[in-house]
Amino acid sequence: MRLRLFLALLACLLSSVTSAVESRTAEPSVLADDPLWLALLHFNRGATVHSRGETYVDDESFFLSETGAVDPLAELQANISAMRAQGSEVRCRFPARYQFLARKLGWAESDGLAHCAELQEWLGQIPDKRVVLVFPASYLNSPSSMFGHTLIRLDDAENPDSVWHSWAVNFGAAVGPEDNSILYVYRGLAGGYPGRFVIVPYATKIQEYSHLENRDIWEYTLDLSPAQIRRMILHLWELRDVNFDYYFFDENCSYRLLELIDVVEPGMTLVDGFRLAEPPVNTVRALYKKELVRERVYRPSKAAQLDAERQAMDAGQQKLVKRLMADPSVAKGPVFSAYDEAERHRMALLAYQVLRFRHRNDERDPEVAARSLALLKVVNANAYEGELTVPTPVPPERGHGTQMLSLGAGQLESQDFGELGYRFTYHDLIDRDTGFLRGAQIEGIDLHLRSTESDDLKLESADIVHIRSLSPRNRLIKPISWFVHGGLERALAGERKRLVRFVQGGPGVTWQAGNFMPYGFLTARLENNSAYSSFLEPGGGAQAGLLWYLPRAQVNAGGEGYYFANDEYRHRQFLRINVPLGRQSAIRAEWQRDGWRGDNDKGFSLTWRQFFN
Amino acid sequence: MKKALVAAVLLGSSVSASAVAPGGPGCGWGNMVFEGKSGLPVHLIATIVNGTSYNKTFGMTTGTNGCDTSGALTYGGQSLLAMNGVLEEVAMDMAAGEGEALTALSVSMGIPAEDRSHFNTVMHDNFSAIFSSEEVTAGDVMESISAVMQSDEKLAKYI
Repeated sequence: MRLRLFLALLACLLSSVTSAVESRTAEPSVLADDPLWLALLHFNRGATVHSRGETYVDDESFFLSETGAVDPLAELQANISAMRAQGSEVRCRFPARYQFLARKLGWAESDGLAHCAELQEWLGQIPDKRVVLVFPASYLNSPSSMFGHTLIRLDDAENPDSVWHSWAVNFGAAVGPEDNSILYVYRGLAGGYPGRFVIVPYATKIQEYSHLENRDIWEYTLDLSPAQIRRMILHLWELRDVNFDYYFFDENCSYRLLELIDVVEPGMTLVDGFRLAEPPVNTVRALYKKELVRERVYRPSKAAQLDAERQAMDAGQQKLVKRLMADPSVAKGPVFSAYDEAERHRMALLAYQVLRFRHRNDERDPEVAARSLALLKVVNANAYEGELTVPTPVPPERGHGTQMLSLGAGQLESQDFGELGYRFTYHDLIDRDTGFLRGAQIEGIDLHLRSTESDDLKLESADIVHIRSLSPRNRLIKPISWFVHGGLERALAGERKRLVRFVQGGPGVTWQAGNFMPYGFLTARLENNSAYSSFLEPGGGAQAGLLWYLPRAQVNAGGEGYYFANDEYRHRQFLRINVPLGRQSAIRAEWQRDGWRGDNDKGFSLTWRQFFN
Repeated sequence: MKKALVAAVLLGSSVSASAVAPGGPGCGWGNMVFEGKSGLPVHLIATIVNGTSYNKTFGMTTGTNGCDTSGALTYGGQSLLAMNGVLEEVAMDMAAGEGEALTALSVSMGIPAEDRSHFNTVMHDNFSAIFSSEEVTAGDVMESISAVMQSDEKLAKYI
């Protein structure tokens, strides 16, 4: 490591000296440590845990030298000797490397890639006028989307007529169509699949995210010069069919895309620092920090559009939309005809969209198809110009950081306690909602250590995962809310409190009225503790509560309870108030009452929550 | 490579095998309007790790990929209309008279900006002829659009 640093310093020194002395050639040993060379080989410069000081590429065909995966100098020398000759085929396979070497070593050829027919044809097709980072944000009810995803879009003009014709560069796990079991998830998380860059039409990505998954899409135009875009595209060609290690948590899509952008300006060090579990939103933040973002565009999902259109209608219109969906011939009746043409158009269009929304993910149903077409005919017969614009929400990068440390103090019965907390990721129901979806919670690894007057620091609770999706029901759309929660917590079992292991979850319903969101869940619970005779004690119960989003605070009040098969039971009532003090910090007050057969504990606490990263 | 591209075109689009359509079978032209998407659980799982089951897809096409791509309604060698879900987006935009899918369609046909609002109007006025039943396929729609454009003074030259 120290040697590398020394060499890097030496490189800086030498490059300033040599440029002063005019000579355009550089020593291979110096070139091998050039940030661009290391970026082109995807060497891990210390940003993630796996294979530090080696390449991320898990593919022998990516290297010319046998030791290329661990030795950038050997790879450099192998490339120099393979590419120096005019008309070398190796140049066609690794054009970005060639460009780098030709420039650094002063190989004088006007276009050393002119003989690469396949590459030239591809370059002729690939859009290269604009690069856009695309961030499909999360959507309620889709746990897989909660971290978001990032991809890159290539446009064929500064302001393309239709981005449906742009190309999307996606990095993801490469799986065969036969891999459709739950094993897929496990293998994906554990690194069992290679990751690959693929290029697909952007239109398919719009279909996938905006129409099928109902995810809003944020598009960030990058401020890159034509030469920088060219370099990125040449490097993209080098990555064709090349396998990377793929780990969901650190070397994921977002990290790889940063690496790809890194080759345009390696001195910029986008991938600096330690990046475990790079969440896609941090990719966006990193690009803003380097002033690479020129423009931001919001592309609302189908669901967001529907909701905006629905909210623009009064109750009578919404009921009529519902009737139209069930029976398009309602359009011939007097109630519908009484509205003006523009309103008829909008109601029929909304009825069509909700019908498609409900059935888009099902097998084709001829009867639904007939109703769909009948509604479109009503739309067609009632002309209306102008479209409802969906209000742009606060962009996700303005939301709070992903990790959190908390420090709190409180009282449980007559005992004072202090509490230390750390949450690895990401957001709960009453964290500051700017840039987040209301009613969505995803917590992974949430630890609380508590110390009382009589006791040393002890683990109070450790959530492994706690996801809640509260999606409000309305007249037209009736989604099911759900939650899943697993980990360790202190709970009363057999005369005293113990650290019990549990997993629970269940379906629920949520409504929304202004800034209030009432909700209810059914709960199924499995618990393991040393007091109960069975290894896993099953239980069932319910939860209900209210979320209230105030301008300067978020409130959650509610209760929950469950019975075990062994006749034990527990219940809890709580009130939590979160007051954000800016983007990265908040104060939270909690009052809680825990009850069980024969007794209960009451307590309260006040906590400082500090977000970072 | 070419076979893989065909596979990529087909991926996710449930093609009714019996439908013989322009461009040959297996190009997605047999896709019916208001097609649902089956196999959703698989799809959901796939998105968890952002999986791409496209095998060796890198660039839209080089030459033909087994489909007849000589028609005007193609998109980098694939058919825009035959893409999963696009047909019903086009249907909606055509009924309403404007929209992103309709613009994408006109761009893919090489219709310049100045003629696009005329194209939109003609498509809107002929919606019932183009989407004559809920059973039309991407191929049928393509043929009807061509026929409507042929009989329009301004649009005939783009066919």
